[in-house]
Amino acid sequence: MTEIVLPGDRISAAEELAKLKKVILGPGLRRENEQVVVCKAGRLNYKEPNAYWIDSYQQRYVPVRGDAVIGVVTAKAGDIFRVDIGAHEQASLSYLAFESATKKNRPDVNPGDVLYGRLIVASRDLEPELVCVNSIGKKGKLGVLTDGFVMNCSLNLARMILRENCPLLRSLTKEMPYEIAVGLNGRIWLKAKSLRETIALGNAILAAENASNEEMSKICENIGNILFT
Amino acid sequence: MVTQTENVSIDPRGDFSSEDLKLRPINCELNPLTRSDASALFTQGDTCVLTSMLGPVEVKSQNLNIEKAHVECIYRPKAGIPTIEDKLRENVIRDTCESALLTVLHPRTTISIQIQELDNRCGIEACAINGACLALLIGGVPMKFTIAAVHCIVDKDDKVVLDPDHCKAIGKRASFIFVFDSLEKNLVTVHTSGRFRMAQFNDAECMSRAASQIIFNFYRRIISNFHNKSLLTADTKVRNTEAETVVKSEPMDV
Repeated sequence: MTEIVLPGDRISAAEELAKLKKVILGPGLRRENEQVVVCKAGRLNYKEPNAYWIDSYQQRYVPVRGDAVIGVVTAKAGDIFRVDIGAHEQASLSYLAFESATKKNRPDVNPGDVLYGRLIVASRDLEPELVCVNSIGKKGKLGVLTDGFVMNCSLNLARMILRENCPLLRSLTKEMPYEIAVGLNGRIWLKAKSLRETIALGNAILAAENASNEEMSKICENIGNILFT
Repeated sequence: MVTQTENVSIDPRGDFSSEDLKLRPINCELNPLTRSDASALFTQGDTCVLTSMLGPVEVKSQNLNIEKAHVECIYRPKAGIPTIEDKLRENVIRDTCESALLTVLHPRTTISIQIQELDNRCGIEACAINGACLALLIGGVPMKFTIAAVHCIVDKDDKVVLDPDHCKAIGKRASFIFVFDSLEKNLVTVHTSGRFRMAQFNDAECMSRAASQIIFNFYRRIISNFHNKSLLTADTKVRNTEAETVVKSEPMDV
């Protein structure tokens, strides 16, 4: 299904389906009385059995609960850190929200550090709140990202890279070893062996935004060929 | 599958000849600027504006509204500092855009629209509103509907002319700007200046309402091209090679 919809359009299929069973409306769709109305321009998607959402192009991040994001610590204010995650407001991060952190054993986080965290509070009326541990108190992949390089991209690219069937990272691994963290707020952290490789990786990822799956593997091969010849 | 906003036939009663219902050619380039959240270079004939938007971003404490987003508009003329006339335009554009935006979804934020006039050959306000609407559309801020602005004048021979160029507008007696929504084609904004008869106003409104469909069709086409280009990546479908960001349109008549 690849319809492009504009704000104000009605999704009659969703309205019909709602008469039979519950329908889930995702981003970009709103219910107004009995009507399903589009509020963002983009591609309409449907997933069996009952979910509709709009895939829209966006550069500006709006916090969503549960998203993994990359942020920059801007200030240390008593018990919390202020973290810039690219949204309209800075997120707060408690110093206790790190693995094995206690009141005595404070984590070593300083303004300017880059963090990979998960949003546990993200409501339109509340300040977003980050944590760097999972529900059982382990850090997992979250925490301070040392060294490396952070770049910005559109939210669509970040979502695309994280999609399960996206071949980009898999074909890049064939070319060189690297570390990557992708934040859903449109930030990508990269670390490769050398500066040259990091820049090449960054360019390959940004170039993949408008590429099809076959073109992606071609881009990755090219990068490898240029770097190692 | 999708019910598009009702397709009113452009001239239901056939009151106007196709010669009357003609807009100047519309062209648009999306995202010419890299640092803003979304931008559009929008031209209608020789009139040209560059619009960009940021949002939802941090709000200044004096503009903070706990119930809805604050919408601001900055209009920059081609040369010099903004004059009082430009400030008036700014307000018209801001209020028009605010009525189309779902500001309640982003309380305590700012949605900022910047408009740089590049060339004013008549109808700059209409062009700016259309450009701003496109920038908001691709910026991904929630909207109730899209808006289309049409400029109209009463010329020196007392005739109503739709979207004139600057030659036709010499010695105009009155000028109108009508903004319509995409749902029911209701009026969102009317801005008039000069002296005119009520009948002329009604004529101008009917003509503009009919012509707004051209602009709505243009939005749909350019947004489709934009998304076919940027979102087809995950699909295995053949890429739409003809989709370019710059859509060249022929002179659009009805």
